[in-house]
Amino acid sequence: MSLTVDERWDLIDSIAKKTITYGRYKETLKDVIGELTVKPMTGIPIAITTMYAFWSIFGSFAGTLFTDGFFVKLFDEHWLPWMQAHFPGAGGWLYYIIVGDPAADNCFEAFGMLTSGIFVAIGVVLPAIFIFYLMLTLLEDVGYLPRLAVLVDTVLHKIGLHGYAIVPTILALGCNVPGVTATRILETRKERFVMMTLLAIFVPCGAQLGIMEEVVPESMGLIILYLIIGYFITGLVLNKIIPGISPEILMDVPPYQKPLLSNVILKVWVRMKSFFKTAIPFVLLGCVIVNVLYLAGFIQWLGSTFSPVFVTWFGVPEATAGPLVAAFLRKDLAVAQLSVIEMSAYQMVTAVVLVSIYFPCLATFMMLLKEGWKELLGSLAVLISVVFLYGGLLHLIGILAGVA
Amino acid sequence: MRVLLMGHPNVGKSVVFNRLTGVDVIASNYPGTTVEYAQGSTRVEGEDVTVIDVPGTFSLEPKDSAEKVAVEMLEQERGAVVISVIDSSKVERGLYLTLELIERGYPVILALNMWDIAKDKMIDIDVKKLSRIMGIPVVSTIAISGDGIRKLASLIKEAKPIKVDEIVERVGS
Repeated sequence: MSLTVDERWDLIDSIAKKTITYGRYKETLKDVIGELTVKPMTGIPIAITTMYAFWSIFGSFAGTLFTDGFFVKLFDEHWLPWMQAHFPGAGGWLYYIIVGDPAADNCFEAFGMLTSGIFVAIGVVLPAIFIFYLMLTLLEDVGYLPRLAVLVDTVLHKIGLHGYAIVPTILALGCNVPGVTATRILETRKERFVMMTLLAIFVPCGAQLGIMEEVVPESMGLIILYLIIGYFITGLVLNKIIPGISPEILMDVPPYQKPLLSNVILKVWVRMKSFFKTAIPFVLLGCVIVNVLYLAGFIQWLGSTFSPVFVTWFGVPEATAGPLVAAFLRKDLAVAQLSVIEMSAYQMVTAVVLVSIYFPCLATFMMLLKEGWKELLGSLAVLISVVFLYGGLLHLIGILAGVA
Repeated sequence: MRVLLMGHPNVGKSVVFNRLTGVDVIASNYPGTTVEYAQGSTRVEGEDVTVIDVPGTFSLEPKDSAEKVAVEMLEQERGAVVISVIDSSKVERGLYLTLELIERGYPVILALNMWDIAKDKMIDIDVKKLSRIMGIPVVSTIAISGDGIRKLASLIKEAKPIKVDEIVERVGS
């Protein structure tokens, strides 16, 4: 026998009456904190403080303490000179691929697989994503994310998304791949498409943020601002042109909880493991492919062929072609490569934004494909338009401000 | 033997899963952490039992693609036992899904999870009476600390399909 919806609720009502007793509810400290973090008056300052703390711990722990304080010294003063001196066949192609530039005095310039490749993966990105995931996990387990979602709900509705979309966005800041997966909690195809596209274009991953913090710390603010503005403009436009609806959904805000140490360790470990498995091989492979393409003259050819696009339209040097090729595989690698190209500070900002918004990395691309090829093609069409329009706009702003 | 963990988003299914199987899946304090199913195994009285962590769903009429995965999972596993995991501080709406599962003929065990939170909220549930009325095994659990998980596992074999009109009758009397 099957009940109707009303019959089911009636039955539940009678069962509950016979088995559940409600005592007088006393408000606890958790409830008070819960209220404070959701009410806009107090919630918005708390959210800003939390995000700022997140960001400054991220920068000082990963960038200052581990990368600058330890890995840069280790790699530049010991590992690189040792490799340059001991790897056989200086000047040959194998040396170029594995060690890179024999005259380089730091691991960003050398760009060999076992010099820059390992330095970028272990020295810069590893500490960055470790601290990112540790903090993210704490925020998750405490139960802060749904509250943040409630706070940003109004703003996100303007771009056709529910407040809950903040969750995939924050996950994507760690790595775009789980960000894309998390869009499955959105109800309509429209919402999912808009979210996935925005993630793939505008949300830099933890690895990329880590390396940006290392090579262009003074321009970080402007770069992030450009990405946020782009996220909203593109969201607004997509919301207008994509048919479909973005329905209201009711969201549960769970009670705050003390994070369980074992669960925190487990989650950070699971996430780090996937970094070791996918990211490190890709960074190393990326170095090899880019070096081979340089040796073959392909990147130089690409740069000069598309010179008008790079120089005239985007206002960045021709040499940016190399990093854009690397960005197919790993965005962190591409940013590392950009850092040694000679250009003005504003050109660097434009170039880093371009690397971020241009094509998703291979892993994200595969994930988008898994979610549906029609969506993927749509996202790519949006992406190409955005790269051209937004990249050109950035150049224009630079010209008008007299800094391009 | 196969066991599905089903329930609303963020009632702690993934934590129950980790406790039961020792397989590590990501669990977080917000709805919608699990969007794909995960599978692991455990032993109950010497028999291997496959446990499946299903994405959270409010009812058996799916609204998003994570819920669709959940309902498809259920339909493929015709012979499975279902552990209906519910938030003890929100029993009524958890029972809705539980009744739907019973009506579809699945043997169901009810896990009243987050028992500590219900306690905090001064909500008292008569587990024995609930089990008698529903005609299914009911156990209170606190998955994050592991309370009640062993008992839950031992009850898996006791679950059998029941008729929903029997519940209606028992409530009436």
